This record gives sequence, C-alpha cells and structure tokens, in this order.
Amino acid sequence: MNWKMLILLLSMSVFSISLYAQTRKLAGTVTDDKGLTLVGATVKLKSGRLATSTDANGKFSISVTTNETAILVTYLGYVDQEVPISASSENITIKLSASARNLNDVIVVGYGTQRKKDVTGAVASVSAASLQEVPAPNVVDQLKGRVAGLDITSTSTTPGAVGQIRLRGERSFATSNTNANNQNGPLFVVDGIPLIGGSLNDINQNDITSVDILKDASAAAIYGSRASGGVIIITTKRGKSGKAVISYDGYYGIGHITDEYPLMDGAQFAAFKRESIAGNSSATSPNSTAYPFTPAELAGIANGTSTDWQKFIFRTAFSTDHQLNISGGNENTQFSISTGFHKEKGVQYGQDFDRGSLRAAIDHTISSRVKVGLTTLQTLTHTNGADLFPLYNTSAISPLTSPYNADGSINLLPMTGSVDQPNRVNPLTIRNPSIQDLNRKLYSFNTLYGEVKIVDGLKYRFNAALTYGQNQGNNYSPVNTTYNTATSPSQTNESVNNTENYTWLLENILTYDKTFGQKHHLTFTGLYSTEKDHSQGLQVYGVGMPADYLQSYNLFLANQVNFSATNQPNFADRGLISYMARVNYAFNERYLVTATVRTDGSSVLDPKHRYYTYPAFAFGWNIDRENFMKNVSFVNSLKLRAGYGVTADQNVSPYQILGNLSSNAYNFGSNGQNGYLVTNLSSSLKFEHTNNYNLGVDFGLFNDRLTGSVDVYQQKTYDILQVQSLPPSNGAGSTTVNAGNSKGKGLEISLSSINIRSSNGFSWSTDFNIAFARNSIVSLHDNLKADITNGWFVGQPFNVIYDYKKIGIWQTSEAAQAAVYGQRPGQIKVQDVNNDGKINASDLQILGSYQPDYTGGITNRFTFKGFDLSLVTFARMGQKVAVTYLGSDSGAQGYPFFNQGRVNQINVNYWTPTNPTNDFPRPDANLSGATYASTLQYRDGSFIKMRSINFGYTFSGESMKKAGFRSLHIYATCTNPFIIYSPLVKSGLAVDPEGNGFGNQIAGASSFSTDALGRAVTVGLNNPMVRTFQLGVNAKF
Amino acid sequence: MKSYKKIAVLLTALGIMGVSGCKKVLDQTPKSNVTPDVLASAGGVIGGITGVYSDLRNLWGTEGFLYYTNFGVDETLAGGGASNGGVAFATYKNYTNNVSDVYNALGGVFNIAYQDINTLNGVLQYGPAAFADVPTRTAYLAQAKFLRAFYYFHLVQTFGAVPLHTTFINTATLSDSRAPVADIYAQIIKDLTEASTELQNKPGDNGSPFAGHAATKATALYLLSKAYLTRGWSSAAQPTDFQNALTTAQTLITNKGTYGVDLYQNYADAYTPANDVTNKEDLFAIEHSTDTKYGDFTPGASGGKINGWAYFFRPNYPTVTANYPTSSGASVMTRDLANGRPFFRVRPNYDYVNNVAFADRTNDYRYWNTFQTTWIANTANVTTPRGSLVVGADTAIWMPPADPGAAKRASFKGVIFLSPSVAATATGTNINPSNTTFFPSLKKFDDPNRPSVNDPSSRPVVLFRFSEIYLIAAEAAFKLNDLATAANMINVLRTRAAFRTTNMPADAVAKMQVSPGQITLDFILDERTRELYGESLRWWDLTRTQSLVRRVKQYNTEAGPNIQDFMTLRPIPQTEINLVTQGPPIPQNPGF
Repeated sequence: MNWKMLILLLSMSVFSISLYAQTRKLAGTVTDDKGLTLVGATVKLKSGRLATSTDANGKFSISVTTNETAILVTYLGYVDQEVPISASSENITIKLSASARNLNDVIVVGYGTQRKKDVTGAVASVSAASLQEVPAPNVVDQLKGRVAGLDITSTSTTPGAVGQIRLRGERSFATSNTNANNQNGPLFVVDGIPLIGGSLNDINQNDITSVDILKDASAAAIYGSRASGGVIIITTKRGKSGKAVISYDGYYGIGHITDEYPLMDGAQFAAFKRESIAGNSSATSPNSTAYPFTPAELAGIANGTSTDWQKFIFRTAFSTDHQLNISGGNENTQFSISTGFHKEKGVQYGQDFDRGSLRAAIDHTISSRVKVGLTTLQTLTHTNGADLFPLYNTSAISPLTSPYNADGSINLLPMTGSVDQPNRVNPLTIRNPSIQDLNRKLYSFNTLYGEVKIVDGLKYRFNAALTYGQNQGNNYSPVNTTYNTATSPSQTNESVNNTENYTWLLENILTYDKTFGQKHHLTFTGLYSTEKDHSQGLQVYGVGMPADYLQSYNLFLANQVNFSATNQPNFADRGLISYMARVNYAFNERYLVTATVRTDGSSVLDPKHRYYTYPAFAFGWNIDRENFMKNVSFVNSLKLRAGYGVTADQNVSPYQILGNLSSNAYNFGSNGQNGYLVTNLSSSLKFEHTNNYNLGVDFGLFNDRLTGSVDVYQQKTYDILQVQSLPPSNGAGSTTVNAGNSKGKGLEISLSSINIRSSNGFSWSTDFNIAFARNSIVSLHDNLKADITNGWFVGQPFNVIYDYKKIGIWQTSEAAQAAVYGQRPGQIKVQDVNNDGKINASDLQILGSYQPDYTGGITNRFTFKGFDLSLVTFARMGQKVAVTYLGSDSGAQGYPFFNQGRVNQINVNYWTPTNPTNDFPRPDANLSGATYASTLQYRDGSFIKMRSINFGYTFSGESMKKAGFRSLHIYATCTNPFIIYSPLVKSGLAVDPEGNGFGNQIAGASSFSTDALGRAVTVGLNNPMVRTFQLGVNAKF
Repeated sequence: MKSYKKIAVLLTALGIMGVSGCKKVLDQTPKSNVTPDVLASAGGVIGGITGVYSDLRNLWGTEGFLYYTNFGVDETLAGGGASNGGVAFATYKNYTNNVSDVYNALGGVFNIAYQDINTLNGVLQYGPAAFADVPTRTAYLAQAKFLRAFYYFHLVQTFGAVPLHTTFINTATLSDSRAPVADIYAQIIKDLTEASTELQNKPGDNGSPFAGHAATKATALYLLSKAYLTRGWSSAAQPTDFQNALTTAQTLITNKGTYGVDLYQNYADAYTPANDVTNKEDLFAIEHSTDTKYGDFTPGASGGKINGWAYFFRPNYPTVTANYPTSSGASVMTRDLANGRPFFRVRPNYDYVNNVAFADRTNDYRYWNTFQTTWIANTANVTTPRGSLVVGADTAIWMPPADPGAAKRASFKGVIFLSPSVAATATGTNINPSNTTFFPSLKKFDDPNRPSVNDPSSRPVVLFRFSEIYLIAAEAAFKLNDLATAANMINVLRTRAAFRTTNMPADAVAKMQVSPGQITLDFILDERTRELYGESLRWWDLTRTQSLVRRVKQYNTEAGPNIQDFMTLRPIPQTEINLVTQGPPIPQNPGF
C-alpha cells in the first residue's frame, strides 16, 4: 500500500509548510441570497490546505496565511463562490445564490448517491428551495414546468388532486386513463423505497430536501421493471450535527375561481330557445318544441330574471399550512423531527382537504463500523367532496328562473313545469351539511437501515421498509339535493368503503467503493431484494336512512344494504424479486463508465416468462479535466454523457393471465341467484420492455453563471402489454397481450443563468427548460395499421383525435348541396373526404393529437437587499384539447350541448338565418344533440401561464437576533395569477386551457372509455382553475 | 464493541431472512375473482345460466334495445325524446354510421349474444362433469341449450349469416367467419328440439333454481315452432318447415294444461301487474325486482339493466299547458305514479293504428286495453279557457282516436289532441294535432307499483306470450294454404278480444269472427298489431314475412321514403368487421 503512505506523507508536508507561514483567524457568516444563514456550508482555502464548515449559526472561523488569496465556499444546492480575501478581510458575509444544478451537488441515483460530476445518466435535480417557490399542497404541483421533459398536466382542480405525470412522453398502449397512468407514469421512490399504495399527497412537501429525476434508462434501469416511465426520487430531510435548529414555515391563503364558465344569461337563453323552436327540423312538427318555456320562465322573461346559477356553488377558498421542524444532533446521532398541518377549504361548497403529518428521521453511528437509522412518517388526510360535481346540473338550469321563492325560501325545483323538473334541483342544496363524500387516509411509511463497514471500502447495508395505507370512505347523499334528486326519504344513498394496502420490502445491498492508484475510482453495488404488495378492499352500499345526521356511519339502519357489481370487494397480492449489480468506474475523474444489470421476477406474469434481465451502460467524459481545456477559462465544467439501457413494465393486474368471469345476479321469481359470465380469456404474458439511448452534455460557463444540460434521446418499446380488442364473436371483448412497438425521441434543454449579480446587492437569475418529445406507434397487434376501437394508428402518437372534420356550417345558399347529405342549412358541414356524397366511416380522419409540440418553463428570480421576487412560468404548446362541453352528445355521454334547447348553454355564436356564422350550428328543438356535434370540441390547447409570483422579504440585523430569530423571511405569493397566452381562453369558450378531467367528464358518462378521448385530459364542466393569494413566513430559531 | 457485534449479527440474520424470503412471493392465488374452471362445478353451471338470464336485462327493456326492436316499422313512429340514434333506426337514415351514438344497439346485442353464447358453450362443455344426478343435469343443461338457440335465432333473424360457435372459446382468436344460414337454423332446431323434451314442465319443478319466468318445455316449443316458421320463409327453407311449425304449435296448445299455460278470458288480465307472478300467458320473461342486487334495481335509473318499458311510450303530459297550444298558463298535469315518467321515445303511427289495425274499436276492445287516451286532472288551480279543472274528476287531457265533434270539444274543459289527419279536417275549437310529444300512451307496461315516479319498472319484461302461438299457428297454416285452420286459430284470439267486463255489445263475439276467406298475410300482420302492439316483435314479424319494405312504404311516412330492399337485415356491427384481422375478412351485409 505504497500510495497510502504517499498520501500521508504529502498531507503531512502540506501541514508542515503551513506552519511556516504567518496565520491569522478569519471569521465570517455564510447566508443564502435571502440572508438566511446556511448551516454546514463548506469553507475551503483556495490553496486547498484547510477546510471547515459553518456552525449552526452559519458562522465559520478558519486559519488563513498571509499569502492566501481567496476562500472557496460551497453548499449543496447553491452556486460555488470564490471570495477574494486580503490581509484586512474580517468577519465577512458570503451570500450564496441558489442553483438547481451544481456539479458538486450530490445526486441520488438509486441505491446510492453520486456527485453530479460523476453521473453518467440523464438526471435532473430540483432543490427544496426551488420547490418552495410554488406553495402547493403536493410536490407534483410544485414540479410543474420545472424540469425539461417532465410534463405535468392538471387533471382536476379539486383540493388534493394530483396531476397526470409523464416523463419523456408515453410508451405503452393503455385503454383507459387509469391504465395509462399505471403504464406510463413514473415510479416514485421516497428515501430509497418505491412508493407503492401511497400518493404524493401523503408526502409533506416541506419534508423534502431534493427531488432527483432519472430520465434515461441508463440511470433508471436499476429500478428495472417499474422504471420504464422514469423514476422520480424524493429525498427527505435528515438531521445534521450541531445545535438544534427549530424552523417554522407557515402560510395562509385565499382563493377564487379564475372565472365562471361563459354561460348564456336570461335574455340569451330565451333567444336561444326561441331559435331552437324556429330551427325545429321535424317534418311533422316544425316551429314547435317539446320543451316550451315553463310558467316560471315566462314570468322570468317578463320581469327580466337572469340568474347566474354558478355563483351559488363557488365560494372563497382558503388554505393554511403550518410546518414545524426540529433538527440537530451530535457526531454520533442526528435527528430531524417535524410535524405539519395543511388545510384547504375548496372553492366549491363541500370540498375540503386537510393533512396532518408527523415525521422523524434518526441516524446513529454505533461505532466506526456500524450505523443504523430509521425514518418514519405518518400522515392522516381527509378529502371531502372530491367526487361531487354539481356544475353540470347547475349550468343546465334555466337562467330565467329564480333561486328563491317570493317568500325567501329556496326554490327547490326551478325547472318545475318542464320535463327536467325532478333532475335539476336548486344548487343551493349542495350546502346541505349532511352531504358526505369523505375519504380519510392513514398512511404510514417506515424504513429502517443498518450499515456495516466490513472492510475498508466494503459496506453492507440492509434496508427494511414497511408501508401501510388505509382508506376509509364515507358517502352520503340526502334526498332533494343536486346529488340525489329523489324525493322520498327512503331513497337516500349511502356507502362506506375500506381499502388497505401494505408493502414490505427487504433489501440487501453490498457496496464496494475504492480508489486505486489515485486515478482509478471503482464503485460496485450489489442488490438482492424481495417485495410484496398487498391490497384489499370492501365497499358496501345502502339505500335509505332514517335520519340525515346518521350519514353513512351505521349501514345496519339502511333500508337496503348491498354490494356493487362494478365495485366489488377485492384482494390482490403481487410479488417482486430483484437482483442488481452496478459498477461505476472513473478514471482520473475524466472518463466515467457505469454498467448495470438487473433481473426482476414478477408474480403477475406467465410463470414461463416471469424473469427478465435488463442491462444498461453509460459513459461520461469530463472534458473540462482535459489538458487542452486548461486555457479555456470561460468553461468551468463540460461533460459529455452517452448511455444505453433497458427498462421494463409488468403493469398488469394480478391474476389477469388466468382468465376471469364477471359476476352478476338475477331473480328467478323470488329466488335470487348469482350469475357468472366469461368476459376475460386467459392469456400468457411477459415483460414489456423499453430500450433507450441518451446523449447529453452538461456544462458550466463563465464562472458557472451559465449552467445547463442538453439531452437527446431515442427509445423503443417492445412487447407492449396492451388490451387487445377481440371480435365480439369470440365471446369476450378483449384480452391482454404483448404486442406492438412504439418509439419516442426528444430533445431537452435546461439552462440556469445568473444574469445580473451587481455589487449593490441586486441579482437576477433565470432557470429555463424546454423539451420536445415525439412519441409514436410503430406497430400494433396483428400488423394492424389502425385499431380504431382504441384509437391507435401506426405512425401516430398514442392519443389522437379521429373524427369527422368540421369545415363550417351549411349556409342558406348551400341548401341543395346539404340535402345530398341529408342535412339542411344551419347544420354542421363535415368534410366528405372521398367525395362519394355520403358521410360514413370512410370520412373519419385524424384531426390532431393531444401531444404537445413542446413543453417548457421559465423561472426568474430577483433579489435586492432583503427582497426577493420569483416568477414561475410554464407552457405547453401545439397540442389539441377536447372541450367536451362544446361537443358532447345528449344523454349519458356528457353535457347535452344544444339538446333541443332544453338546458342552458355555453354562450356560443350559433347559426341563425340572419347570423350566417361558421362557428356553431343552429339550435334544433328536434335534436337531442347536433349532428356531428363531437367535431365542435377540438380546440387549440396551447398555453403559456404564469404559474406563480412570489415576493418576499428577509429581515436581518441585531433586532432579529435579540427577538430570538435565527432568520425570518416573509412572503406573499399568487398562484395562477394570469394566463399569458391561450387561444382557447381568448375565444371566450373556456376559462382555462389546462385540463380538469378525463374524457367526457360528466358523472354517469359511460361510453368513450377506451378511445383516445377517454384517455385524454380534457376541459370539461368541472371546477375552474383557482387563483390563490398567500401570505407566509419562514422562521428559524 | 459488543453491542455493535450483536447488531451486525442481527443485521446479517435479517438479511439472510430476506434472501431466503423465497420464491413464494411469486405465487399467484386469486381470492376475489372467479376463473373459467368454475364452470365444471354445479355452482358454475347454475351461475353460468343465471349470468345469461341476468345479461338479458341489458337488452329487452333498455332504451337502446327499444329503438332496434320497435322502430322503423308500420305501427310506431319515433317520439320527440328519442335520441339521434333512435331517430336513425326509426327513419333508416344514417343508422349504420352513428359511431358516436351510445344507443347504437346493434353492437350491444351482438356482443352480449356472443358473450352469453360462449358462457353457455362452457356450461354445456364442462357442465356434465358437475352433476352425478342425470335428470337434474339434463334439465339444467337444457336451459343452456334453450338460451343458446334463443340467441342464435335472434342473431340469424337480425343479421343473417353470423359466426356459429358451439364449443367453448378459452383462447382469443382474431379470425372468424359467417356460417351459412342453414347451419345456424339446423343448430337452433337441434337445440330447441332437445330442450323441448328436456326442460322442466313448469318453472321451479323439482326444486330447480330456475323458477319464476324461466324457460320450460312450453317456452322451447313456442320458439321451436317459430323457428320452423321463420326458416320456412327463409332462403334455408325445408319443405316440412311450415307443417312442423303448425304441429309444434298445436302440441303446445294441446298440452297447455301440463305446462300450466292458457289464455285469460280478459285480454287485459294478461297485462295487469296483479298477475305478474303467476301470469299464465307468460311463456318467457326477463325478471326484474326492486332488489338492488338480484333485481339490478337503481332508484331513478333510466339506463343500465333496467325495465324502461313503463317510461318509453309515455307522452310528455306534464308539459301540456292550460292555454295549449300557446305555452302560457299552468301545466294541466303533474308527473305522478299513475301516469308515469314521460320519456316520449315511441309514439303510435296514428293513421295505421287508428284507421287500419284498430279500425274496429266497437267490438274489439283491445284498442282500449292497449292505449291510455285520457289523463284525469291531478293538479290544483288549473283553469283552461273552457273552465277550471277539478282534481280527480275532470279529464285534463283527452286524445280520442276519432273526432268527438265540435260541440263536445267546445264544452270539454281539458285539452284535446287528435291524430294529425283528423285534426286537419276538423273544424271548431279545441283541436290540437298529436305530435312527437303528445300522443296516446301505450299502457300495457304501466307499473303503478314503482317506489317513486322516476323509478324504472320492476315488472317482468315478457318476451313470449302464449297468445302468439295462435298467430304462429295461423301463419303456418296460411302458408300451408290451410285457411280454415288459420281462421280457427285467429278466432280464438278474436273471441277473447271482444271480451270486456262491462258494456260488452251482445253481438261483439259474433262480429269478431273471421272466415277462412278473410285470411291474408296482411290480415295476420294487422292481427299481430292488435294483439301484440309495441311488444318488440314487429320488425322481425315484418322481415320474416318479407313485408317490411312494402308495409313501411305503405304506412310509415317518416321511414317510407328512406327504406330500401336490403334493409331487411341489419348491418354486421363494424367492430366485428374491424376486429377480424386474421384470415378472410367478415363481409358486410349487402347494401351497407
């Protein structure tokens, strides 16, 4: 071991040299750009002779010699700073600016960490500081628009909703939005443990220190069979040695809907209904309607009634959030304990969300060889009203009617006298306090580790994780309300459900980390793990309760108790056994090689194909370390990365391969019998897998004032697990098969720049990211060119619009031409593609895709003295969006657009003989939905939105210290302040271009579940986006 | 140091435990779902048959099925509440390409039929292993044979040649072909011939779980007779078909005592809810109940596995205003249990119904037993230009089949609707033409016992009535040119049709009798309307007798201009054509 001796000698000589120089003590404080002190920042002499770190107050003291010219200050998540010193330098304050990307940062790469410098895969990191710029109830909301290639789409605006997440687009065929999320969504890993059965709502966003996103397969392959959608690793806070730090973070906010839906007012609706009568296309009863004005409506016309029903369901929302954390410790033991409380009162009456959490992380070093630790997290959340959608019923009510009767009582049935009388109950009834749509969730996440250094460089670590989640649902719908229009007290609806899941995971990890001959750095990681996921649930429904206050707590008292055929009790177990080995080799910190191999065994696949092995290789070249770069002074770092890897997907339900009988029931007279039907045929399934190539470059220029990454990738997915629709004559509608391929490619650019850093304390920095992702289907099952039933077409993205193409409205002058197609002026004119004088299936065409051309975001931060301002902007451009309330057909499918003039409408520009528009067709009292109405809903979904504006001030000075504060920061934030660009919103047909649900969103929608529209995030009649204003404080004691 | 050693040992032990956590983790044992091997057990056989019975609730009684079974014929027209898809079926316009219409029933019936057939094939294939007792096994498996024949009969009449599967499909295929019509009929007749000797005599015999309105020998005989009759008219006709149809029908009539079936003296008794449980004319029905599980009952439901027959034929009576036809004034009626939930999906084709089929409303009481023409005031404080309506006493709406005369109309306080052709020639006041919203209501399926006015009906949906066997026999005899037998059969029904409990004309029965010379195909078809109006049979009656196009052109002004000769078959659902991707493609029926 000569080299060891050499190092020893060398370091001794360094010390001995320093003894000869004149030394003095230099003291100082390290703070962030808001002036908050940074604990544990590294302060190093530029000569490299000495290093120290800041104490619990952010202070340091270091011995410097007279010939020392500068000190180097580094801190995780901040830009390194070199501070010149002179002989007179004393008690200096060093401000570090936050950076999302710093090559010395430690990146969590799965089963270990690496310095950013040594990483070979495409990995993006977001620091806690960046996340906190957007105060939101969960981390998904905070990540929106922050990482290139991470596309987060809103799917709901109810409190506690988590959006749809796609990393580098979609890869797998899925027939429903749920399947699409399961198959294409990323794997979340919290502190090394896959988050199964938990939701991101269960993780308190304030407990997070960093989020690392493994984008390419060379990085993600170590998570094998669940990594094809990418991996998002969340690391939570741990204690640091030093005096205990108490921190409090809190905010209070209010919110309003950004706008109401643009419905017709009283006069507009009256005109619309009259036009529907004039436009009645019935040969036998022209100029008539089956839905005439009711007496109340006629009175409303006479006295100018115009009720805005929407205002009765929305209110001012408020949210409040309080987080308390205490962390500290000594050399042997570090701890971090925290508690948090978050509460939101939603904009819609009856919607609430709250979460309380307790967390503790303890690390204890027993000896130089043994270390143990524990992380435990408990959360209790209540979500109320997430499935209550009163907007459709509310918007359908005639604005010519009044919410209150003359005597001041509630006008329970405003549509009295019309066929809709019993279905359109006054929306004021949603405020009935007995209404219950409550989901209580208890989630417990616990990990325990023990680490033993066996010999120098060789470490064995054992992780055991146990997570448990329990959902208790209670639902109650009293009668005579919007949610239960029945009138008899015996027809209340109630239900309770209880689902639970647990996961246990045992991991054995062996790590060998050694540097040989100074230049050869080798790390080996070996893993063996077993995991079992269990879930089971029970749902019981009741009809009729003796009293509303009982709600759903004692179903024994219900008139009838039953189980639901569509929501049966369930039981599922799935198991996973994994072996993994990874080697990282770095030569002279210049050339980096990573090789990984993992094998997974899954319980849900055919026993013949239940194991799959994934290789991954990656190379990195730190060009900046090369001699020829020495003189290129503006380049601080430059790295080239290339990687190839395989990931896989086993996302099928347990037991699916065995075939399945659905069950129903029947009464033979009074004799009740259970029945079964063969609805799923058995199948043999294996792993779906994705091969991914990634080429990337990371750079830091101009003293790291401009840092960034550029990645290009290509991926191909094979043996896609997909539901294959069968000819109905098979007797079963579908089966699951491994078939079809898809491909994707993309370009991702991330840049961070410090634009201005002036001596007067003003600084301006910008984070920018943009991603172009293109995914398409390469082949379908059985060499099909198109699977129309599921909306898949070779060469196209997964979700496309396949419909007739609206080319206008038939005008009066075109009556003869319209008649060829059995139509008449005022109706929608669609393109007759093959000009055969008939509109039929051969005229359907692909009209666009729900895939954006590009997504991106810009965050600008300004600081001046104690003030800080950040602006977060994000964009999705070039995609189509379906605005379902503009085009849905009548009845169960969705909003009954036009519907014989029966319900109130979006205030659209419709055709009349005197208004020959090409926008919307003529209302027709004879038609429940306009012919080809679906063509009206496809709109340009592009948008640029200001996500949040955050303005803060940091108090400093002695008075604060005397008051006991280590630091104090107050801020005001506005989320969703305004939309910068959206052709859809500009057209006046929608409030917000972001989605708020899937497919046709109206309760009871039954069709369209398998086609592209059913999977797409759509703009429907659901709660509008909420604009919030928050005031908050971050304090440390 | 000691403690760390202990911990090290403990960790290693835990780690080894994890390693030895063994491959059991990868085993699959379902505990909450049923796999196909259950069909080899007694519970699986009974469950499979029950599953098919329950699946029938997705067809007859639902709105989508209503359009497909009741529209586009001579006796009905679309109501104003019908969906676009419904109107397409009613008018033969765009009705194959309503890709976005939920009510496109054709896909539904095809899918459900083959799903059920496959389950039945599984029952017949694996079921024999399930029972040691041969008579039990024979009787239970005969249910599966009957149901399989029932579905194939419906498919072949509707789509013509269709895929024919008689063995269980457990592995998916993407190829299929249409079997010759003759092969399908041969299978139907084989299954029904066996079922007609193997099924129970009466529902629930010998402790069978198939009680209530389940299939019996009588059901199989009825369907066998009709299958022979239909094949006799078809391209696959055998020379003996009409004779077999007649003989089989007569077997059923002769043995009606054994099977516990018969005609009621009063036509109305066959339709009264009071007789639902023990209705002796009911040969086969889909049952419903208010039980949430076994009855698939959902309060207020208008979709799903419901019996909506009590909704669909009702006019929108609560929107008739006091000053009709102007929309001012209060509604003269309020929606109530007795008058039902107004869905106005189907309306009578007045000119055919009033002037052709039910031209004789004096001797034949079936018109009055079929239609509701008066609505008794149920709303207080309603005054029409002709006076105030007294709740429970005055008639608020009246839809007489003929003009009651100007004087009677002027003095009638409520609102009168006449069929459009009558209204066009009437003079005086209180004349309103019936339209798509206001029309006489079919009352045979009324269900005043529903818990709430918007609830679906829980009455059985009767598919086969004993009375029809006389019409089948008559049609077979007519085709055999045995007009005397045909007249005899029809006269059984016409004698009964004259019956009423009060004010029956003394010579009504005599006047109702027809002679062999009066028997024509059209007379038989008109008689079918009189006896079975609105019972979801008409389209097949007309296609079987090769009369659809002719009679639709003759009587149906809305569909007549559009119907074409090829429309006597429905198009094969596009999904079947699209998804058969291996082997020869499935050809579409000509013309579509």
